[in-house]
Amino acid sequence: MDIQQYIESGVLEQYVLGTLTVREQQEVEQLAAEFPAVQQELQVIRLALDGYAAAHAATPPAGMRERVLAGWQQAVRTPNGQAAADEAPRLVASVTAPVAPAPQPEAVVRSIDSAPSSASKFGWLVAAAVALLTLSAIGNYLLYNRLKETETNLEVARTEQSRYAATQQAALKERDDRARQLEILRSEQFRAVDLKGTPNAPDALARVYYNASSHAVYVDVRHLPALPSGKQYQLWALDKGKPVDAGVLTLEATTGDSLQQMKDIASAQAFAVTVENAGGSPTPTLSTMTVLGSI
Amino acid sequence: MTSKTSEVAAITEEQLVARLRARDEAAMTIFYDKYGTALYGVIARIVKKEEIAEDVLQESLVKIWHSFLSYDASKGRLFTWVLNICRNLAIDKIRSRQYRVGTRTQPLEDSAAQWQAAPSAFKPEHIGLEEITRQLNPEQKQIIDLLYFGGYTQSEVAEELDLPLGTVKTRARAAIKVLAKLIR
Repeated sequence: MDIQQYIESGVLEQYVLGTLTVREQQEVEQLAAEFPAVQQELQVIRLALDGYAAAHAATPPAGMRERVLAGWQQAVRTPNGQAAADEAPRLVASVTAPVAPAPQPEAVVRSIDSAPSSASKFGWLVAAAVALLTLSAIGNYLLYNRLKETETNLEVARTEQSRYAATQQAALKERDDRARQLEILRSEQFRAVDLKGTPNAPDALARVYYNASSHAVYVDVRHLPALPSGKQYQLWALDKGKPVDAGVLTLEATTGDSLQQMKDIASAQAFAVTVENAGGSPTPTLSTMTVLGSI
Repeated sequence: MTSKTSEVAAITEEQLVARLRARDEAAMTIFYDKYGTALYGVIARIVKKEEIAEDVLQESLVKIWHSFLSYDASKGRLFTWVLNICRNLAIDKIRSRQYRVGTRTQPLEDSAAQWQAAPSAFKPEHIGLEEITRQLNPEQKQIIDLLYFGGYTQSEVAEELDLPLGTVKTRARAAIKVLAKLIR
């Protein structure tokens, strides 16, 4: 994965803004743990947004500090603090209700004999509910884990698939190229001309395929010495002793990775390759001639 | 008031966190004095109504108190954590159905802007809103406000402003870069 690209993708901003799904959040956290650059970017985003938030500090209405703090204290001191918290009581008299008003005398009498049975029934209900809830939580947990696993597997499979597709496409393209080259090599109209290394490069070897009727010229490098930077090989046709430019060799052709079609040549008795400045030269530098061969 | 200010100034974030973790109720007052105006400002900007902002702030304090043990200082500053709690509660509030009916159609830039800005006691990177508004271009500010104060996702912003999602992402990122530079 290209981390810089990931950072630029906007997902980290979404993470800090809290708009990602749980799964996406986990991915960000995992990458943050793995790559310091991600961690650092998250920090920058957090600071930026915190600063933006702090810039919005506003003067609260009069008396709010006392009201809010008192309301908070009441909420956290109530026995049902958690429940009360969710309702966020403002400072009102009714909040004192949970203290439970003193029960009336008859209510006490009645509740004495009804209490045990209803309490135990209630106890059973609570126990059953807790048990169900626990089972459901375990079930959810297991299902969630399995879901996560499945999602991961799916993602892996998708990545693999797209990689295979890319490889296959490259292979098909290469096969087409090779087929075209083979066609040229097999054609009767092309004549193969071996160009052998000169004393400059005794190991050098190349071959030219020349079609005298269509004037097409292809070059097929077997081995040419590596070039200094700024230089390029150039093919020349020799027609009655006169050099005719047949074009410069691409890097691909120079390294022997593929055949290259050169400029059409009307007539030639020999071919040669010289080293010229990148882009080619109008006349050959004979001292740099690397390979030479006649038809 | 004077003793309050000096106590707030003297306490470090670490000490405050330790005291809150120890369920020290007095620490909550210090917490309020340190972060209250900033949190109130953000909530007010989101819910746009003073009395609702006050309710949400109080709810937030209760939630912060009850869930304080889940605050992990190694994962970020206290301010970031509490800000998220406040933002989430405020956004939940405006997303609740009865609230939407009345307010959702109002433009974002209204009442909140009329409230007087207050210096926050919490200052490490405090920078004026005016300066920020000068530096962010209007498109960037609009997007960052929808994302941060409107509780919109990037796709919702794209839909709302009728922009390609890619543009929203680029602008949001650019805006955050500007903010980061200002605040650093």
